[in-house]
Amino acid sequence: MTNAPRAWYNMVMIDAEKLKVLTESAKYDVSCSSSGSARKNEGGIGNGYIAGCCHSFTPDGRCISLLKILLSNDCIFNCKYCMSRSDADVPRMTATPEEICELTIDFYKRNYIEGLFLSSAVVKSPDFAMEQLLLTVKKLRTEYKFCGYIHLKGIPRADPLLVHEAAKYADRMSYNIELPTEKSLKLLAPQKSRESLLLPMKQLQRERKIFCEEKRKGHFLPAGQTTQLIVGASPEPDGQILRLTQGLYRQTGLKRVYYSSYVPVVHDPLLPETAAGSMREHRLYQADWLLRFYGFDAEEIVEDDGNLSLDFDPKCAWALRNLQLFPVEVNRAPLEVLLRVPGIGARSAYRIMEARKYTRLTFEDLKKMRVVLKRARHFITANGKFFGAESKKSIRGAITAGEKREGAVQLSLFSDRETALSALTGEL
Amino acid sequence: MIYFYDGTKEAFLTAFLLAYPDEEAVLVSGTRQLSVGQSTVFVRSDPDRARRAEARLKELDRDGLKELDLLLRSGQEDRDTVAFEYFRLIAARGCPVRKMLAEDAVFAAMECIRRVEFEVHRFHGFLRFMESASGALYAPFAPDNDICDLILPHFRTRLAPLPFVIHDVGRKKAAVFDGDHVFTAPLEKAELALSSDEEGWQELWKHYYKSVNIPSRERLKQMRGYMPVRYWKFMPEK
Repeated sequence: MTNAPRAWYNMVMIDAEKLKVLTESAKYDVSCSSSGSARKNEGGIGNGYIAGCCHSFTPDGRCISLLKILLSNDCIFNCKYCMSRSDADVPRMTATPEEICELTIDFYKRNYIEGLFLSSAVVKSPDFAMEQLLLTVKKLRTEYKFCGYIHLKGIPRADPLLVHEAAKYADRMSYNIELPTEKSLKLLAPQKSRESLLLPMKQLQRERKIFCEEKRKGHFLPAGQTTQLIVGASPEPDGQILRLTQGLYRQTGLKRVYYSSYVPVVHDPLLPETAAGSMREHRLYQADWLLRFYGFDAEEIVEDDGNLSLDFDPKCAWALRNLQLFPVEVNRAPLEVLLRVPGIGARSAYRIMEARKYTRLTFEDLKKMRVVLKRARHFITANGKFFGAESKKSIRGAITAGEKREGAVQLSLFSDRETALSALTGEL
Repeated sequence: MIYFYDGTKEAFLTAFLLAYPDEEAVLVSGTRQLSVGQSTVFVRSDPDRARRAEARLKELDRDGLKELDLLLRSGQEDRDTVAFEYFRLIAARGCPVRKMLAEDAVFAAMECIRRVEFEVHRFHGFLRFMESASGALYAPFAPDNDICDLILPHFRTRLAPLPFVIHDVGRKKAAVFDGDHVFTAPLEKAELALSSDEEGWQELWKHYYKSVNIPSRERLKQMRGYMPVRYWKFMPEK
């Protein structure tokens, strides 16, 4: 019988109350994915799962992939929207690196989680907090031989050397931009600045590029970087948010931008009292998918100072504005055109591309292949036949009829069977 | 004619060879209600015939037999028909057909395979191990499809050198990694002495599950869609 690598350690089981406090303060970070790392099990426990993997789902409909926890909630910063801000009267707790390591290993071994998502309040100083984070992930990798996924939150204004060092152990790092403009940031998160968030992101991007070019040994953020924007805590319209997102994807090479619709956990005269609707968040994610997988530009999706339509998904809204481009014939339209048809996701587009090599597809065929035609039929012909409504007005009516407002969140973005698996749960 | 066979690959291939010329052939494994007046045949697996069928199908479609393996693992009622119709089409066309998705037989087979593969993926996440006193891990589950040996390799790479057992309690079989070797074996019921801190970690996991939820944003339907209720039985957090 072989022993686990950590057998010579004394058991350190974190206190349940501490676990509760440190989880409660971490849970509003929406990032959950565990994709993008193919890290191998190098004589310890764990490995990466390139497509990502969800281990459970909570009653709020979100997945649990990583153990999402703070090392400490004892903060010197005073960001208005944050429940751990220095002004707040909440119990303060700090976990030891050993407690976090043991918890990760034992949860991981039982297959509760895919890895660790470690973040921290700014304890004492940005450098101190970053050091503690670094210490923990380094211990987890080197002493506990953990080769599973680690997502590490960066602390703004920490020493670049600490940031560089941390990137050697983490699979992914993220700095949350939180608010779309410098102005809002100044108002709501006075100790942060756009620069304190963007500088380390750019540093990591630069260093990762060098790491890859020189084919160095070891690891350096194999799963790249992500960020998060809070939606609805400040007045920026969707157009501005999406242009920022597009810039981040194109210039900073981010893997993902997450949107967190604002939940009022904190009361402050500067903050709205009501939660931002989850529909707005949903529409932003749909638009985000259009940017990343469907070849759209932010400018096509929404005007600069406009918001996304709540009644129609962004692709549908775009198609209704550009009716002159439709209908398209499914037997001839190239992939990039098919992908722009409302209701046709990447999986359907892929099926159509394959199947039409063998036969001329009719509406019957499309139905059999489970291409959802509710929206699509107004924008396509199949073998020359058109079954849609004739005018813009009647199309609008037909599409919104029977629609539930806070409805399904399912997105199809599959280009093949493999990604379909992970995309279904948003792990991608 | 209805062709009964025992559900194994060899018997399927034997039955396939027999049933192929019969236009009204239906393949059935296991038990199913018969309507009066249907003539039936019980096909016993014949290694020779099976080998011939296999060789021919391999010529027509190199990857077809991998698909057959997945199809026969499906828990779907009509899996035998789905597999039969799919391979009949391959034989009739004399070439791979998997991309002809407008064909009913192809679409049905691809969907069936997708469901099996998707369940494998799901259990990479939803399987729950408990730690025994000896340090070995034990995970009971009740999947729709016969997949316990298909999910094993993932955990072997991940957890090595820890030995573990993945127990399909419905089919009463287990996929085992004993620290050196991998094998499947019949397993009715497992006797298990848990490690001293197993319960403690399970409790912490339940605390975590509860704390990470945002109650003001309840979306139960979505949760159930992603994590079907039938899987909950073996998950300590539910």
